[in-house]
Amino acid sequence: MRAVFETWGTALAGLAVVLFFVVAAPNFASPTNLLNIVKETSFLAILALGFTLALITAELDLSIADVASLAAVVTGFLIHGGHPPALAVAAGLGVGLLCGLVNGVSVTRLRVPALIATLGMAAMARGLGFMLTEGVSFVGRWPTGFTGLARASVWGIPALVLWMAGAAAIALVLVKATRTGARMTATGEAEEAARLSGIATARMKRIGLALSGLAAGLTAVLLTASLSSAAPNMAGDYFLYAIAAVLLGMTMVEPGRANIPGTLIAALTLKVLGNGLVLMGAAYYVQDIVLGFIIIASVAVSASVMRKAPLRL
Amino acid sequence: MTPILSLAGITKRYGGVEALKGVDLDVHQGEILAVCGDNGAGKSTLIRIVSGAHEASGGEMRLHGAPVVFRSPHDALTRGIATIYQDLALAPRLSIAENVFMGAELVRPLLLPFVKMLDRKGMRTAARGYLERLQVPVTDMRRPVERLSGGQRQAVAIARALHWNARLVIMDEPTAALGVKETGLVLDLIRRLKAEGRTVVLISHNMADVVALADRVAILKGGRKVIDRPLKGLDADTLAHMVMTGVDRT
Ligand SMILES: Nc1ncnc2c1ncn2[C@@H]1O[C@H](COP(=O)(O)OP(=O)(O)O)[C@@H](O)[C@H]1O
Ligand SMILES: [Mg+2]
Repeated sequence: MRAVFETWGTALAGLAVVLFFVVAAPNFASPTNLLNIVKETSFLAILALGFTLALITAELDLSIADVASLAAVVTGFLIHGGHPPALAVAAGLGVGLLCGLVNGVSVTRLRVPALIATLGMAAMARGLGFMLTEGVSFVGRWPTGFTGLARASVWGIPALVLWMAGAAAIALVLVKATRTGARMTATGEAEEAARLSGIATARMKRIGLALSGLAAGLTAVLLTASLSSAAPNMAGDYFLYAIAAVLLGMTMVEPGRANIPGTLIAALTLKVLGNGLVLMGAAYYVQDIVLGFIIIASVAVSASVMRKAPLRL
Repeated sequence: MTPILSLAGITKRYGGVEALKGVDLDVHQGEILAVCGDNGAGKSTLIRIVSGAHEASGGEMRLHGAPVVFRSPHDALTRGIATIYQDLALAPRLSIAENVFMGAELVRPLLLPFVKMLDRKGMRTAARGYLERLQVPVTDMRRPVERLSGGQRQAVAIARALHWNARLVIMDEPTAALGVKETGLVLDLIRRLKAEGRTVVLISHNMADVVALADRVAILKGGRKVIDRPLKGLDADTLAHMVMTGVDRT
Protein backbone atom coordinates (compact mmCIF):
# COMPACT_ATOMS: atom_id res chain seq x y z
CA MET A 1 0.00 0.00 0.00
CA ARG A 2 2.75 2.35 1.00
CA ALA A 3 4.69 1.41 -2.13
CA VAL A 4 1.64 2.14 -4.31
CA PHE A 5 1.32 5.51 -2.65
CA GLU A 6 5.00 6.36 -3.13
CA THR A 7 4.85 5.39 -6.79
CA TRP A 8 1.47 6.79 -7.76
CA GLY A 9 0.50 9.19 -4.95
CA THR A 10 1.06 12.43 -6.83
CA ALA A 11 -0.44 10.96 -10.01
CA LEU A 12 -3.59 10.21 -8.00
CA ALA A 13 -3.50 13.76 -6.70
CA GLY A 14 -3.40 14.85 -10.36
CA LEU A 15 -6.46 12.71 -11.06
CA ALA A 16 -8.20 14.34 -8.13
CA VAL A 17 -7.44 17.73 -9.65
CA VAL A 18 -9.03 16.64 -12.93
CA LEU A 19 -12.15 15.36 -11.16
CA PHE A 20 -12.36 18.55 -9.15
CA PHE A 21 -12.46 20.69 -12.30
CA VAL A 22 -14.93 18.33 -13.98
CA VAL A 23 -17.31 19.11 -11.16
CA ALA A 24 -16.38 22.69 -10.38
CA ALA A 25 -15.24 24.42 -13.56
CA PRO A 26 -17.85 25.47 -16.11
CA ASN A 27 -17.35 23.82 -19.52
CA PHE A 28 -14.25 22.01 -18.36
CA ALA A 29 -15.58 18.58 -19.28
CA SER A 30 -16.74 19.59 -22.76
CA PRO A 31 -15.10 17.47 -25.48
CA THR A 32 -13.70 20.55 -27.22
CA ASN A 33 -12.07 21.81 -24.07
CA LEU A 34 -10.62 18.40 -23.18
CA LEU A 35 -9.24 17.97 -26.69
CA ASN A 36 -7.75 21.44 -26.52
CA ILE A 37 -6.04 20.63 -23.27
CA VAL A 38 -4.45 17.51 -24.74
CA LYS A 39 -3.33 19.44 -27.84
CA GLU A 40 -1.96 22.26 -25.71
CA THR A 41 -0.16 19.73 -23.54
CA SER A 42 1.90 18.56 -26.50
CA PHE A 43 4.10 21.68 -26.62
CA LEU A 44 4.74 21.50 -22.90
CA ALA A 45 5.24 17.74 -22.92
CA ILE A 46 7.78 17.73 -25.75
CA LEU A 47 9.75 20.57 -24.17
CA ALA A 48 9.65 18.82 -20.80
CA LEU A 49 10.71 15.50 -22.34
CA GLY A 50 13.93 17.17 -23.46
CA PHE A 51 14.53 18.59 -20.01
CA THR A 52 13.89 15.10 -18.63
CA LEU A 53 16.57 13.56 -20.85
CA ALA A 54 19.11 16.14 -19.68
CA LEU A 55 18.12 15.66 -16.06
CA ILE A 56 18.47 11.88 -16.38
CA THR A 57 22.19 12.55 -16.83
CA ALA A 58 22.01 14.90 -13.79
CA GLU A 59 22.32 18.09 -15.83
CA LEU A 60 19.91 20.99 -15.70
CA ASP A 61 18.91 22.81 -18.89
CA LEU A 62 17.57 26.25 -18.03
CA SER A 63 17.79 27.37 -21.67
CA ILE A 64 14.95 25.25 -23.08
CA ALA A 65 12.32 27.98 -23.33
CA ASP A 66 14.60 30.68 -24.76
CA VAL A 67 16.16 28.22 -27.19
CA ALA A 68 12.65 27.23 -28.29
CA SER A 69 11.78 30.91 -28.81
CA LEU A 70 14.92 31.43 -30.89
CA ALA A 71 14.22 28.32 -32.96
CA ALA A 72 10.65 29.52 -33.50
CA VAL A 73 11.84 32.88 -34.71
CA VAL A 74 14.32 31.29 -37.12
CA THR A 75 11.62 28.96 -38.45
CA GLY A 76 9.15 31.84 -38.80
CA PHE A 77 11.77 34.02 -40.47
CA LEU A 78 12.38 31.42 -43.17
CA ILE A 79 8.71 30.59 -43.76
CA HIS A 80 7.87 34.26 -43.83
CA GLY A 81 10.59 34.82 -46.44
CA GLY A 82 8.96 32.23 -48.67
CA HIS A 83 11.49 29.47 -48.15
CA PRO A 84 10.37 25.85 -48.39
CA PRO A 85 8.80 24.44 -45.21
CA ALA A 86 11.31 21.59 -45.13
CA LEU A 87 14.15 24.08 -44.88
CA ALA A 88 12.40 26.09 -42.17
CA VAL A 89 11.69 22.96 -40.16
CA ALA A 90 15.25 21.72 -40.52
CA ALA A 91 16.54 25.12 -39.44
CA GLY A 92 14.29 25.20 -36.38
CA LEU A 93 15.36 21.72 -35.31
CA GLY A 94 18.96 22.56 -36.17
CA VAL A 95 19.00 25.71 -34.03
CA GLY A 96 17.68 23.73 -31.08
CA LEU A 97 20.17 20.93 -31.57
CA LEU A 98 23.05 23.35 -32.01
CA CYS A 99 22.22 25.23 -28.81
CA GLY A 100 22.01 21.88 -26.98
CA LEU A 101 25.38 20.82 -28.35
CA VAL A 102 26.92 24.11 -27.25
CA ASN A 103 25.46 23.58 -23.77
CA GLY A 104 26.96 20.10 -23.72
CA VAL A 105 30.39 21.34 -24.71
CA SER A 106 30.26 24.16 -22.15
CA VAL A 107 29.38 21.74 -19.38
CA THR A 108 31.70 18.85 -20.21
CA ARG A 109 34.66 20.42 -22.00
CA LEU A 110 34.79 23.93 -20.55
CA ARG A 111 33.59 22.67 -17.16
CA VAL A 112 31.01 25.40 -16.70
CA PRO A 113 28.29 24.12 -14.31
CA ALA A 114 25.07 23.49 -16.24
CA LEU A 115 23.20 26.00 -14.12
CA ILE A 116 25.51 28.76 -15.39
CA ALA A 117 26.13 27.44 -18.90
CA THR A 118 22.44 27.07 -19.74
CA LEU A 119 21.50 30.34 -18.06
CA GLY A 120 24.05 32.05 -20.29
CA MET A 121 22.69 30.20 -23.31
CA ALA A 122 19.17 31.33 -22.38
CA ALA A 123 20.27 34.97 -22.36
CA MET A 124 22.09 34.66 -25.66
CA ALA A 125 19.18 32.87 -27.34
CA ARG A 126 16.76 35.51 -26.11
CA GLY A 127 18.98 38.29 -27.35
CA LEU A 128 19.43 36.64 -30.74
CA GLY A 129 15.69 36.18 -31.05
CA PHE A 130 15.08 39.90 -30.55
CA MET A 131 17.94 40.72 -32.90
CA LEU A 132 16.46 38.60 -35.72
CA THR A 133 12.97 40.03 -35.39
CA GLU A 134 13.92 43.53 -34.29
CA GLY A 135 11.34 42.99 -31.62
CA VAL A 136 8.31 42.39 -33.83
CA SER A 137 6.56 39.16 -34.77
CA PHE A 138 6.40 37.26 -38.02
CA VAL A 139 2.73 36.66 -38.75
CA GLY A 140 1.22 35.56 -41.99
CA ARG A 141 -0.83 33.30 -44.14
CA TRP A 142 1.68 30.50 -44.23
CA PRO A 143 1.54 27.44 -46.49
CA THR A 144 -0.56 24.61 -45.14
CA GLY A 145 2.35 22.34 -45.88
CA PHE A 146 3.89 24.01 -42.86
CA THR A 147 0.96 24.82 -40.59
CA GLY A 148 -0.43 21.34 -41.21
CA LEU A 149 2.42 19.95 -39.11
CA ALA A 150 0.47 21.13 -36.09
CA ARG A 151 -3.06 21.56 -37.39
CA ALA A 152 -3.68 18.47 -39.48
CA SER A 153 -5.21 15.25 -38.25
CA VAL A 154 -4.33 11.71 -39.16
CA TRP A 155 -7.18 9.21 -38.94
CA GLY A 156 -9.00 11.72 -36.80
CA ILE A 157 -6.16 12.10 -34.36
CA PRO A 158 -4.73 15.63 -34.11
CA ALA A 159 -1.17 15.85 -35.39
CA LEU A 160 -0.02 17.50 -32.16
CA VAL A 161 -1.13 14.50 -30.18
CA LEU A 162 0.74 12.22 -32.56
CA TRP A 163 3.91 14.32 -32.25
CA MET A 164 3.67 14.13 -28.49
CA ALA A 165 3.08 10.37 -28.52
CA GLY A 166 5.91 9.84 -30.99
CA ALA A 167 8.38 11.95 -29.03
CA ALA A 168 7.44 10.21 -25.79
CA ALA A 169 7.73 6.76 -27.37
CA ILE A 170 11.17 7.53 -28.76
CA ALA A 171 12.36 8.99 -25.46
CA LEU A 172 11.00 6.00 -23.55
CA VAL A 173 12.67 3.47 -25.83
CA LEU A 174 15.92 5.42 -25.67
CA VAL A 175 15.98 5.52 -21.88
CA LYS A 176 14.65 2.06 -21.10
CA ALA A 177 15.69 -0.15 -23.98
CA THR A 178 18.95 1.12 -25.45
CA ARG A 179 22.51 0.91 -24.29
CA THR A 180 22.90 4.67 -24.54
CA GLY A 181 19.88 5.14 -22.28
CA ALA A 182 21.27 2.73 -19.70
CA ARG A 183 24.55 4.65 -19.72
CA MET A 184 22.80 8.02 -19.45
CA THR A 185 20.88 6.68 -16.46
CA ALA A 186 24.02 5.29 -14.83
CA THR A 187 25.76 8.62 -15.37
CA GLY A 188 22.96 10.48 -13.65
CA GLU A 189 22.61 7.98 -10.83
CA ALA A 190 26.26 7.63 -9.89
CA GLU A 191 28.62 9.57 -12.12
CA GLU A 192 31.84 8.38 -10.51
CA ALA A 193 30.78 4.73 -10.48
CA ALA A 194 29.76 5.04 -14.12
CA ARG A 195 33.08 6.61 -15.09
CA LEU A 196 35.03 3.97 -13.20
CA SER A 197 32.98 1.30 -15.01
CA GLY A 198 34.29 2.61 -18.30
CA ILE A 199 31.31 4.76 -19.32
CA ALA A 200 32.10 7.97 -21.21
CA THR A 201 30.05 10.05 -18.78
CA ALA A 202 30.86 13.38 -20.45
CA ARG A 203 29.52 12.04 -23.74
CA MET A 204 26.30 10.89 -22.04
CA LYS A 205 25.81 14.39 -20.64
CA ARG A 206 26.41 15.91 -24.06
CA ILE A 207 23.79 13.56 -25.53
CA GLY A 208 21.29 14.50 -22.81
CA LEU A 209 21.78 18.24 -23.33
CA ALA A 210 21.79 17.93 -27.13
CA LEU A 211 18.49 16.04 -27.06
CA SER A 212 17.08 18.68 -24.74
CA GLY A 213 17.96 21.30 -27.35
CA LEU A 214 16.50 19.19 -30.14
CA ALA A 215 13.24 18.82 -28.21
CA ALA A 216 13.15 22.60 -27.78
CA GLY A 217 13.57 22.90 -31.56
CA LEU A 218 10.68 20.52 -32.21
CA THR A 219 8.49 22.38 -29.73
CA ALA A 220 9.32 25.60 -31.55
CA VAL A 221 8.44 24.23 -34.99
CA LEU A 222 5.08 22.91 -33.76
CA LEU A 223 4.29 26.08 -31.86
CA THR A 224 5.09 28.23 -34.89
CA ALA A 225 3.03 26.01 -37.19
CA SER A 226 0.14 25.96 -34.77
CA LEU A 227 0.02 29.73 -34.27
CA SER A 228 1.07 30.73 -37.80
CA SER A 229 3.35 33.22 -36.21
CA ALA A 230 6.70 33.54 -34.51
CA ALA A 231 7.72 36.07 -31.91
CA PRO A 232 10.68 36.49 -29.62
CA ASN A 233 9.96 35.01 -26.21
CA MET A 234 6.96 33.09 -27.57
CA ALA A 235 7.91 29.98 -25.55
CA GLY A 236 8.73 31.97 -22.43
CA ASP A 237 5.56 30.90 -20.63
CA TYR A 238 6.58 27.27 -20.97
CA PHE A 239 9.72 27.66 -18.87
CA LEU A 240 8.21 27.28 -15.41
CA TYR A 241 5.62 24.83 -16.72
CA ALA A 242 8.24 22.50 -18.18
CA ILE A 243 10.41 22.53 -15.08
CA ALA A 244 7.38 21.96 -12.88
CA ALA A 245 6.29 19.08 -15.13
CA VAL A 246 9.63 17.31 -14.85
CA LEU A 247 9.98 17.83 -11.10
CA LEU A 248 6.38 16.80 -10.46
CA GLY A 249 6.97 13.82 -12.75
CA MET A 250 9.93 12.85 -10.57
CA THR A 251 7.56 12.24 -7.68
CA MET A 252 5.77 9.41 -9.50
CA VAL A 253 6.34 6.18 -11.45
CA GLU A 254 10.04 6.04 -10.52
CA PRO A 255 10.04 8.29 -7.47
CA GLY A 256 13.16 10.38 -7.09
CA ARG A 257 14.27 9.99 -10.68
CA ALA A 258 13.35 12.04 -13.74
CA ASN A 259 11.30 9.67 -15.90
CA ILE A 260 9.38 9.83 -19.15
CA PRO A 261 5.92 8.59 -18.06
CA GLY A 262 6.05 10.80 -14.98
CA THR A 263 6.86 13.85 -17.09
CA LEU A 264 3.92 13.11 -19.42
CA ILE A 265 1.41 12.60 -16.62
CA ALA A 266 2.67 15.70 -14.83
CA ALA A 267 2.53 17.82 -18.01
CA LEU A 268 -1.08 16.83 -18.58
CA THR A 269 -1.92 17.45 -14.93
CA LEU A 270 -0.39 20.92 -15.00
CA LYS A 271 -2.21 21.86 -18.19
CA VAL A 272 -5.48 20.69 -16.66
CA LEU A 273 -4.70 22.75 -13.60
CA GLY A 274 -3.88 25.86 -15.65
CA ASN A 275 -6.95 25.46 -17.86
CA GLY A 276 -9.23 24.80 -14.91
CA LEU A 277 -7.95 27.83 -13.05
CA VAL A 278 -8.61 30.03 -16.07
CA LEU A 279 -12.11 28.60 -16.51
CA MET A 280 -12.83 29.27 -12.87
CA GLY A 281 -11.85 32.88 -13.42
CA ALA A 282 -8.59 32.87 -11.50
CA ALA A 283 -6.30 35.75 -12.41
CA TYR A 284 -3.38 34.96 -14.70
CA TYR A 285 -0.74 35.40 -12.01
CA VAL A 286 -2.31 32.66 -9.91
CA GLN A 287 -0.74 30.13 -12.30
CA ASP A 288 2.75 31.35 -11.48
CA ILE A 289 2.10 31.11 -7.78
CA VAL A 290 0.75 27.59 -8.13
CA LEU A 291 3.63 26.49 -10.38
CA GLY A 292 6.22 27.87 -8.01
CA PHE A 293 4.62 26.01 -5.15
CA ILE A 294 4.47 22.77 -7.15
CA ILE A 295 8.15 23.05 -8.09
CA ILE A 296 9.24 23.33 -4.47
CA ALA A 297 6.75 20.81 -3.10
CA SER A 298 7.66 18.22 -5.77
CA VAL A 299 11.33 18.29 -4.88
CA ALA A 300 10.42 18.09 -1.19
CA VAL A 301 8.28 15.01 -1.90
CA SER A 302 11.10 13.37 -3.87
CA ALA A 303 13.50 14.16 -1.06
CA SER A 304 11.26 12.53 1.53
CA VAL A 305 10.88 9.39 -0.59
CA MET A 306 14.62 9.14 -1.15
CA ARG A 307 15.48 10.35 2.33
CA LYS A 308 18.09 12.66 0.81
CA ALA A 309 18.33 15.52 -1.67
CA PRO A 310 17.10 14.25 -5.06
CA LEU A 311 19.03 16.84 -7.05
CA ARG A 312 22.69 17.66 -6.60
CA LEU A 313 23.25 20.28 -9.23
CA MET B 1 58.16 -15.47 -15.20
CA THR B 2 57.18 -12.01 -16.47
CA PRO B 3 55.01 -10.23 -13.93
CA ILE B 4 51.42 -9.67 -15.05
CA LEU B 5 51.87 -6.03 -14.02
CA SER B 6 55.10 -4.22 -13.34
CA LEU B 7 55.48 -0.66 -12.03
CA ALA B 8 58.80 1.17 -12.15
CA GLY B 9 59.54 4.52 -10.55
CA ILE B 10 55.89 5.60 -10.41
CA THR B 11 55.47 9.14 -9.07
CA LYS B 12 52.34 11.22 -8.57
CA ARG B 13 52.04 14.85 -7.55
CA TYR B 14 48.79 16.55 -6.59
CA GLY B 15 49.76 20.20 -6.88
CA GLY B 16 52.40 20.52 -4.18
CA VAL B 17 51.75 17.14 -2.54
CA GLU B 18 54.00 14.32 -3.67
CA ALA B 19 51.74 11.34 -3.00
CA LEU B 20 54.03 8.76 -4.65
CA LYS B 21 57.77 9.21 -4.74
CA GLY B 22 58.96 6.51 -7.13
CA VAL B 23 57.27 3.18 -6.46
CA ASP B 24 58.46 -0.11 -8.00
CA LEU B 25 56.05 -2.99 -7.70
CA ASP B 26 55.60 -6.32 -9.49
CA VAL B 27 52.38 -8.29 -9.43
CA HIS B 28 52.68 -11.96 -10.36
CA GLN B 29 50.15 -14.15 -12.10
CA GLY B 30 47.78 -15.91 -9.71
CA GLU B 31 48.94 -14.36 -6.46
CA ILE B 32 47.12 -12.33 -3.86
CA LEU B 33 49.25 -9.29 -3.14
CA ALA B 34 48.35 -7.20 -0.12
CA VAL B 35 49.27 -3.52 -0.21
CA CYS B 36 49.36 -2.01 3.27
CA GLY B 37 50.28 1.32 4.77
CA ASP B 38 49.07 4.05 7.08
CA ASN B 39 46.51 6.64 6.07
CA GLY B 40 48.03 8.91 3.46
CA ALA B 41 50.74 6.41 2.50
CA GLY B 42 49.62 6.53 -1.12
CA LYS B 43 47.75 3.22 -1.51
CA SER B 44 44.64 4.67 -3.11
CA THR B 45 46.71 6.89 -5.37
CA LEU B 46 48.67 3.89 -6.55
CA ILE B 47 45.59 1.89 -7.46
CA ARG B 48 43.95 4.88 -9.13
CA ILE B 49 46.94 4.98 -11.46
CA VAL B 50 46.84 1.26 -12.15
CA SER B 51 43.11 1.42 -12.84
CA GLY B 52 43.34 4.37 -15.22
CA ALA B 53 41.44 6.79 -12.96
CA HIS B 54 44.53 9.02 -12.63
CA GLU B 55 47.60 9.35 -14.80
CA ALA B 56 51.00 9.02 -13.15
CA SER B 57 53.25 12.08 -13.09
CA GLY B 58 56.23 9.88 -13.92
CA GLY B 59 57.44 6.29 -14.14
CA GLU B 60 56.54 3.33 -16.26
CA MET B 61 53.86 0.68 -16.19
CA ARG B 62 54.21 -2.64 -18.01
CA LEU B 63 51.50 -5.20 -18.66
CA HIS B 64 52.89 -8.68 -19.42
CA GLY B 65 56.18 -6.96 -20.14
CA ALA B 66 54.85 -4.41 -22.63
CA PRO B 67 54.69 -0.71 -21.69
CA VAL B 68 51.14 0.62 -21.29
CA VAL B 69 49.51 3.97 -20.61
CA PHE B 70 45.94 4.05 -19.28
CA ARG B 71 44.11 7.26 -20.07
CA SER B 72 40.76 6.20 -18.60
CA PRO B 73 39.23 3.43 -16.49
CA HIS B 74 37.91 2.03 -19.73
CA ASP B 75 41.48 1.50 -21.01
CA ALA B 76 42.40 -0.50 -17.91
CA LEU B 77 39.18 -2.54 -18.00
CA THR B 78 39.66 -3.55 -21.62
CA ARG B 79 43.21 -4.63 -20.77
CA GLY B 80 41.94 -6.97 -18.04
CA ILE B 81 42.34 -4.82 -14.93
CA ALA B 82 39.21 -4.25 -12.85
CA THR B 83 39.21 -2.14 -9.72
CA ILE B 84 36.65 -2.28 -6.95
CA TYR B 85 36.49 0.95 -5.01
CA GLN B 86 35.15 0.91 -1.53
CA ASP B 87 32.30 3.42 -1.86
CA LEU B 88 32.28 4.48 -5.48
CA ALA B 89 31.86 1.16 -7.20
CA LEU B 90 28.08 0.89 -7.45
CA ALA B 91 25.00 2.96 -8.28
CA PRO B 92 22.87 2.31 -5.18
CA ARG B 93 19.46 2.82 -6.78
CA LEU B 94 20.13 0.76 -9.87
CA SER B 95 19.44 -2.96 -9.89
CA ILE B 96 21.93 -5.78 -9.42
CA ALA B 97 21.85 -6.58 -13.12
CA GLU B 98 22.27 -2.93 -14.11
CA ASN B 99 25.28 -2.65 -11.81
CA VAL B 100 26.95 -5.86 -12.92
CA PHE B 101 26.68 -4.83 -16.57
CA MET B 102 27.32 -1.10 -16.13
CA GLY B 103 29.52 0.01 -19.00
CA ALA B 104 29.49 -3.46 -20.62
CA GLU B 105 25.82 -4.08 -21.29
CA LEU B 106 24.59 -7.07 -23.26
CA VAL B 107 22.87 -5.98 -26.46
CA ARG B 108 20.66 -7.73 -28.97
CA PRO B 109 21.18 -7.92 -32.70
CA LEU B 110 20.71 -4.46 -34.07
CA LEU B 111 17.33 -3.08 -34.89
CA LEU B 112 18.89 -0.13 -36.68
CA PRO B 113 22.51 0.70 -37.25
CA PHE B 114 23.97 2.63 -34.28
CA VAL B 115 21.06 1.68 -32.02
CA LYS B 116 22.10 -0.94 -29.51
CA MET B 117 19.06 -2.51 -27.87
CA LEU B 118 19.57 -3.89 -24.36
CA ASP B 119 19.12 -7.56 -23.65
CA ARG B 120 17.72 -7.09 -20.16
CA LYS B 121 16.60 -10.66 -19.72
CA GLY B 122 19.97 -11.94 -20.83
CA MET B 123 21.66 -9.63 -18.35
CA ARG B 124 19.50 -10.83 -15.47
CA THR B 125 20.22 -14.44 -16.30
CA ALA B 126 23.94 -13.83 -16.67
CA ALA B 127 24.12 -11.73 -13.49
CA ARG B 128 22.50 -14.58 -11.58
CA GLY B 129 25.08 -16.90 -13.11
CA TYR B 130 27.98 -14.76 -11.90
CA LEU B 131 26.57 -14.57 -8.40
CA GLU B 132 26.02 -18.33 -8.35
CA ARG B 133 29.62 -18.78 -9.41
CA LEU B 134 30.59 -16.64 -6.41
CA GLN B 135 28.19 -18.77 -4.32
CA VAL B 136 26.16 -15.74 -3.28
CA PRO B 137 22.48 -16.70 -3.29
CA VAL B 138 20.44 -13.69 -4.40
CA THR B 139 17.47 -14.42 -6.62
CA ASP B 140 15.96 -11.14 -7.78
CA MET B 141 18.36 -9.40 -10.14
CA ARG B 142 15.97 -6.43 -10.29
CA ARG B 143 16.62 -5.56 -6.66
CA PRO B 144 18.38 -2.20 -6.16
CA VAL B 145 21.84 -2.72 -4.67
CA GLU B 146 21.06 -0.28 -1.85
CA ARG B 147 18.87 -3.03 -0.44
CA LEU B 148 21.73 -5.55 -0.28
CA SER B 149 24.09 -6.24 2.61
CA GLY B 150 27.64 -4.93 2.43
CA GLY B 151 29.01 -8.35 1.54
CA GLN B 152 26.44 -8.87 -1.19
CA ARG B 153 27.37 -5.49 -2.65
CA GLN B 154 31.00 -6.53 -2.83
CA ALA B 155 29.80 -9.65 -4.63
CA VAL B 156 27.98 -7.48 -7.19
CA ALA B 157 31.14 -5.44 -7.75
CA ILE B 158 33.17 -8.63 -8.12
CA ALA B 159 30.58 -10.04 -10.54
CA ARG B 160 31.19 -6.96 -12.66
CA ALA B 161 34.92 -7.75 -12.68
CA LEU B 162 34.07 -11.32 -13.74
CA HIS B 163 31.94 -9.99 -16.57
CA TRP B 164 34.88 -7.91 -17.82
CA ASN B 165 36.84 -11.15 -17.45
CA ALA B 166 39.46 -9.24 -15.49
CA ARG B 167 42.69 -11.14 -14.97
CA LEU B 168 43.78 -8.68 -12.31
CA VAL B 169 41.23 -7.58 -9.71
CA ILE B 170 42.18 -4.72 -7.41
CA MET B 171 40.15 -4.16 -4.25
CA ASP B 172 40.40 -1.08 -2.05
CA GLU B 173 39.51 -1.88 1.56
CA PRO B 174 36.81 -4.41 0.61
CA THR B 175 36.00 -5.32 4.22
CA ALA B 176 36.39 -1.90 5.86
CA ALA B 177 32.69 -1.27 6.41
CA LEU B 178 31.66 -4.86 7.15
CA GLY B 179 30.82 -6.94 10.21
CA VAL B 180 32.48 -10.27 11.01
CA LYS B 181 30.11 -12.51 9.05
CA GLU B 182 30.07 -10.27 5.98
CA THR B 183 33.86 -10.00 6.12
CA GLY B 184 34.05 -13.79 6.04
CA LEU B 185 31.86 -13.79 2.94
CA VAL B 186 34.11 -11.31 1.15
CA LEU B 187 37.26 -13.23 2.09
CA ASP B 188 35.66 -16.32 0.54
CA LEU B 189 34.88 -14.31 -2.60
CA ILE B 190 38.51 -13.31 -2.89
CA ARG B 191 39.61 -16.93 -2.44
CA ARG B 192 37.26 -17.91 -5.26
CA LEU B 193 38.81 -15.32 -7.55
CA LYS B 194 42.21 -16.81 -6.83
CA ALA B 195 40.89 -20.34 -7.36
CA GLU B 196 39.74 -19.23 -10.83
CA GLY B 197 43.32 -18.30 -11.60
CA ARG B 198 42.82 -14.56 -11.25
CA THR B 199 45.33 -12.26 -9.66
CA VAL B 200 44.22 -10.07 -6.77
CA VAL B 201 45.70 -6.90 -5.30
CA LEU B 202 44.15 -6.29 -1.92
CA ILE B 203 44.46 -2.94 -0.19
CA SER B 204 43.65 -3.41 3.46
CA HIS B 205 44.00 -1.98 6.93
CA ASN B 206 42.83 -5.20 8.44
CA MET B 207 45.91 -7.28 9.24
CA ALA B 208 43.82 -10.33 10.05
CA ASP B 209 42.41 -10.27 6.51
CA VAL B 210 45.88 -9.86 5.05
CA VAL B 211 47.28 -12.75 7.05
CA ALA B 212 44.31 -14.91 6.10
CA LEU B 213 44.63 -14.29 2.35
CA ALA B 214 47.82 -12.79 1.04
CA ASP B 215 50.73 -14.56 -0.59
CA ARG B 216 52.87 -11.46 -0.50
CA VAL B 217 52.73 -8.09 1.16
CA ALA B 218 54.00 -4.68 0.06
CA ILE B 219 54.06 -1.84 2.56
CA LEU B 220 53.95 1.82 1.53
CA LYS B 221 55.06 4.64 3.75
CA GLY B 222 55.13 8.33 2.82
CA GLY B 223 54.74 7.56 -0.88
CA ARG B 224 57.54 4.96 -1.03
CA LYS B 225 57.50 1.20 -0.93
CA VAL B 226 59.46 0.27 2.18
CA ILE B 227 58.77 -3.46 2.44
CA ASP B 228 57.99 -6.12 -0.16
CA ARG B 229 58.13 -9.74 0.98
CA PRO B 230 56.30 -13.06 1.08
CA LEU B 231 53.73 -13.24 3.82
CA LYS B 232 55.09 -16.53 5.07
CA GLY B 233 55.94 -16.43 8.76
CA LEU B 234 54.15 -13.16 9.57
CA ASP B 235 51.34 -12.82 12.04
CA ALA B 236 48.93 -9.91 12.31
CA ASP B 237 50.78 -8.20 15.17
CA THR B 238 54.16 -8.31 13.47
CA LEU B 239 52.57 -7.03 10.28
CA ALA B 240 50.85 -4.16 12.10
CA HIS B 241 54.18 -3.23 13.65
CA MET B 242 55.84 -3.28 10.24
CA VAL B 243 53.14 -1.03 8.77
CA MET B 244 53.66 1.41 11.63
CA THR B 245 57.43 1.55 11.58
CA GLY B 246 58.14 0.69 7.97
CA VAL B 247 60.91 -1.63 9.15
CA ASP B 248 61.12 -5.40 8.67
CA ARG B 249 62.76 -6.84 11.77
CA THR B 250 61.94 -10.50 11.31
N1 LIG C 1 42.84 14.12 -5.16
C1 LIG C 1 43.84 14.51 -4.32
N2 LIG C 1 44.24 15.80 -4.30
C2 LIG C 1 45.25 16.21 -3.49
N3 LIG C 1 45.91 15.40 -2.65
C3 LIG C 1 45.55 14.11 -2.62
C4 LIG C 1 44.49 13.59 -3.44
N4 LIG C 1 44.36 12.27 -3.20
C5 LIG C 1 45.29 11.98 -2.27
N5 LIG C 1 46.00 13.06 -1.90
C6 LIG C 1 47.12 13.09 -0.94
O1 LIG C 1 48.05 12.12 -1.36
C7 LIG C 1 48.54 11.41 -0.26
C8 LIG C 1 48.25 9.92 -0.43
O2 LIG C 1 46.85 9.72 -0.31
P1 LIG C 1 46.14 8.31 -0.59
O3 LIG C 1 46.67 7.76 -1.84
O4 LIG C 1 44.68 8.51 -0.49
O5 LIG C 1 46.66 7.44 0.65
P2 LIG C 1 46.04 6.14 1.32
O6 LIG C 1 45.05 5.54 0.40
O7 LIG C 1 47.23 5.27 1.54
O8 LIG C 1 45.43 6.56 2.61
C9 LIG C 1 47.91 12.02 0.97
O9 LIG C 1 48.80 12.98 1.49
C10 LIG C 1 46.67 12.67 0.44
O10 LIG C 1 46.33 13.78 1.22
MG1 LIG D 1 42.92 5.14 0.72
